[in-house]
Amino acid sequence: MNTLIDVVKRSGQRPAQSFDREKFHRSIYAACLSVRVPEGEAASIANRVSEAVTLWLNNRPVVTSSDLRRVAGAHLHRYHPDAAYFYHHHRYII
Amino acid sequence: MCLLFDHSLGFMINYICLRNETKMNTIDPIISLAILLFAALIHAFFQLSISVLTLLSGHSLGRKTAHRRLVNLSTAFITGAAAMTFLLLSAFAWVFDKPQIELLLPALWTITSGAAIGVGISVWLFYNRKNQGTSLWIPRPFARFLHDRAKHGQNVAEAFGLGMTSVFGEIIFVFAPLSIAALIIIQTDVQLQLLSALVYTGVSILPLLIVGVMICRGHKLSHIQRWRESNKRFIQFSAGFGLVIIGLYIFVEQVLTSAVRAPGI
Repeated sequence: MNTLIDVVKRSGQRPAQSFDREKFHRSIYAACLSVRVPEGEAASIANRVSEAVTLWLNNRPVVTSSDLRRVAGAHLHRYHPDAAYFYHHHRYII
Repeated sequence: MCLLFDHSLGFMINYICLRNETKMNTIDPIISLAILLFAALIHAFFQLSISVLTLLSGHSLGRKTAHRRLVNLSTAFITGAAAMTFLLLSAFAWVFDKPQIELLLPALWTITSGAAIGVGISVWLFYNRKNQGTSLWIPRPFARFLHDRAKHGQNVAEAFGLGMTSVFGEIIFVFAPLSIAALIIIQTDVQLQLLSALVYTGVSILPLLIVGVMICRGHKLSHIQRWRESNKRFIQFSAGFGLVIIGLYIFVEQVLTSAVRAPGI
């Protein structure tokens, strides 16, 4: 499901995209699996974080990808700190 | 046919013996081994391969890759890194090992020791970026390329290639320990050269091997990454310090002392 909220990319080089809840869900789910959370628990956490972020996105026509990542990381931290750490830091590994 | 083989074998044996006689065995074998191990240990401090392995494993786990496949990918990556280290060391040794090497050795040691000190200071200044995480000095487009390849690497051949690329990508920093090891290797006996190169390769990929085993045994990547992040300054300092120390040692032992001992002085 694509919500009509534009996500502005961090570098500004790529065009803005509509918020894709499925894609967002997959990224949270993958972050959980990366730190060896069982699949069922990972899906449950991804659902809860997706809901929380979708709620946060209400009344915001445009958000930056960094803001989205920050808010998602904060919600994910409540459910699984290790997954939140990996979700937030995976782009700073190299 | 047998006669030709006999002649060839005889020629090879004579050649090896002649080379051994003409070698300048100026370094004590124990000291040679110690310098080789220390250079390999300094090489082991460089982090790009470990970063790429962490990413490769993270993306593989995130895709629900089977455990056996994860083990295969990690093994292929580590094998690729080891192969590239061995090839680079062999290439350096081949470049240095020329017939007039005895005349060139003092100059080569001087250049290598200067390079080691210079690279050591550069490691202190530039190796880790100042932002969070374990971001390295490498240009961002190349980092993005490695990130994308690690993300999409799904087969063993890609993982092997990625392992090779990750070692080659750090050649600006690892050329100093590689040069030192190559200069040591070309001065050891021919029979020990292959063993020395293998020892160097083994020690230099030891941290990669440890991280690979930890990942395959089920350790959380977040714990490994947290440890790396909290110790990155220490690792950076140690690598730089090691290079400066080995550079100074080589300058004193191989350049100054040799100059003092030289006949006519």
